[in-house]
Amino acid sequence: MGANRQSLHAEPLVRHPQHAEEAWQMKRLWGATASYTAGGTLLRTQWESGLAPVPAYLIDLSGIAELHGIHDEADGNWRIGPMTTLTSCRSHLGLQTAHPLLTEAVRNIAAPSVRNLATLGGNIVSAVGDALPALLACNSVLQWRTEQGITDQALTEWLEAEQLQSAWKERLLVGIQLPRQTSISQTKRILAYHKVGRREAFTPSVVTVAINGQLGDDGIWRDIRIAAGGGQTRPRRLEHTEALLMENPSNSPSLAVVYQSLLAEFKPKGDSFASADYRRRTAANLIVSELWKAAKRLTEER
Amino acid sequence: MSLDQYAAPAVHLMVNGQDMTIDVAPSKRLLAILREELGLTGPKRSCEIGRCGACIVLVDGAPINACLAMAYQCAGKHITTVEGVAQEGEGELDPVQRAFLEEGGFQCGYCTPGMVITVKALLSHTPDPNEDEIEEALSGNICRCTGYGGIKRAIKQAVKWRNGY
Ligand SMILES: Cc1cc2nc3c(=O)[nH]c(=O)nc-3n(C[C@H](O)[C@H](O)[C@H](O)COP(=O)(O)OP(=O)(O)OC[C@H]3O[C@@H](n4cnc5c(N)ncnc54)[C@H](O)[C@@H]3O)c2cc1C
Ligand code: FES
Ligand code: FES
Repeated sequence: MGANRQSLHAEPLVRHPQHAEEAWQMKRLWGATASYTAGGTLLRTQWESGLAPVPAYLIDLSGIAELHGIHDEADGNWRIGPMTTLTSCRSHLGLQTAHPLLTEAVRNIAAPSVRNLATLGGNIVSAVGDALPALLACNSVLQWRTEQGITDQALTEWLEAEQLQSAWKERLLVGIQLPRQTSISQTKRILAYHKVGRREAFTPSVVTVAINGQLGDDGIWRDIRIAAGGGQTRPRRLEHTEALLMENPSNSPSLAVVYQSLLAEFKPKGDSFASADYRRRTAANLIVSELWKAAKRLTEER
Repeated sequence: MSLDQYAAPAVHLMVNGQDMTIDVAPSKRLLAILREELGLTGPKRSCEIGRCGACIVLVDGAPINACLAMAYQCAGKHITTVEGVAQEGEGELDPVQRAFLEEGGFQCGYCTPGMVITVKALLSHTPDPNEDEIEEALSGNICRCTGYGGIKRAIKQAVKWRNGY
């Protein structure tokens, strides 16, 4: 049991920097022997399962004021501090209105007692968190403290490149930006988020999908972002399918083509609980059913 | 940069209304502190990875898995375990505890301390929860023997007593 096992590990030293700069300097100094620690919920799971060793130092980010809070900025963008708990994201009324995809995603992560500790930053840096598809569909930008100072990076780019960049391991996530959603005239915004697990609630994800689009009154998608992930699959945008949709009117025949495109484009990882093929089909079914529902609602309203 | 200035001092906590300073490793889990250092065995040790809810306690009024939280994360905070739920000195159970007892909300009782804490937290911010709110609140508390019917009945009874109807 974990409490017995704990005595077998060396006890890490915990440091409490007050500024992002100090935290980053500590990580540079100690490298792989130190971990930034946010809520510690994922780290604990990794330590207990032996996926990661307990490091010599924990760099506790909780005392760094600039990493906390949800801000509705003057230009219409939202900026969320990475140390914001999932509970705070979920219950923030302004965020619920401006970015319901994110608050819905967060509602689907773990359970309230875990969400009271767990942070949005920790979910992002895990690279497989269930908030990621929603953040991708909102075109989010990450702000990092790096060797070059504060650097902005599109979330899509970070997810694609992170595994290959060992130097990035020392970067400190200092902000998450959700750009203002611009509305195109004569369109309706369509949002959908689905997480499929092996139980109804409090379950690891098998497939997670998010859609953020604007469907024209003429049935043509003027703008659409589709993201999929789940399990150990790094979420990513399905850009080929997005382009296909924006070229074609959203009606039943073309949905068959869209379905095939999704099957070809989404490449999830399988495991002993759910094969890659099962995950691919589940994602394609979820996405196509949402597109179909959007088209049907449009026809009914005409 | 002198790093020693960042080391955490001994941990100061307020547990069930009592102020205390404990000399423990800052990364020690709250569950181990409560059970092993303070003899509070109400919070139960089960999965130890946040999945079952048997160890849930209130930290500044919010339910937290004591098996996940580390000592330094609780520094300066108010911790309430199931032992501290009933009003001190009144010798009576909290309405939530009484409802679990009277409505058959437990069988072996292993999950009950965590359930009671979770329901206390739910009713403190949502005094009259609907079915969805109850399910979401309880989603991190697993009971392997009662079945959730009795637990939900207990919650509904606690709501009635609390709200005086
Ligand atoms: C019981 C249980 C259920 C769970 N269910 C889900 C689920 O349904 N969906 C899901 O997505 N996840 C789930 N998780 C995983 C985890 O709780 C979440 O991903 C959570 O959001 C992680 O946040 P944290 O603050 O606890 O991260 P931590 O554990 O503190 O950190 C996670 C990683 O991020 C790094 N990190 C944190 N902050 C920063 C920063 N600012 N800059 C750079 N690196 C940083 C850490 O070094 C670490 O590598 C679950 C975990 C548990 C224990
Ligand atoms: S022992 Fe803490 S959640 Fe199971
Ligand atoms: S009463 Fe036995 S596990 Fe819930």
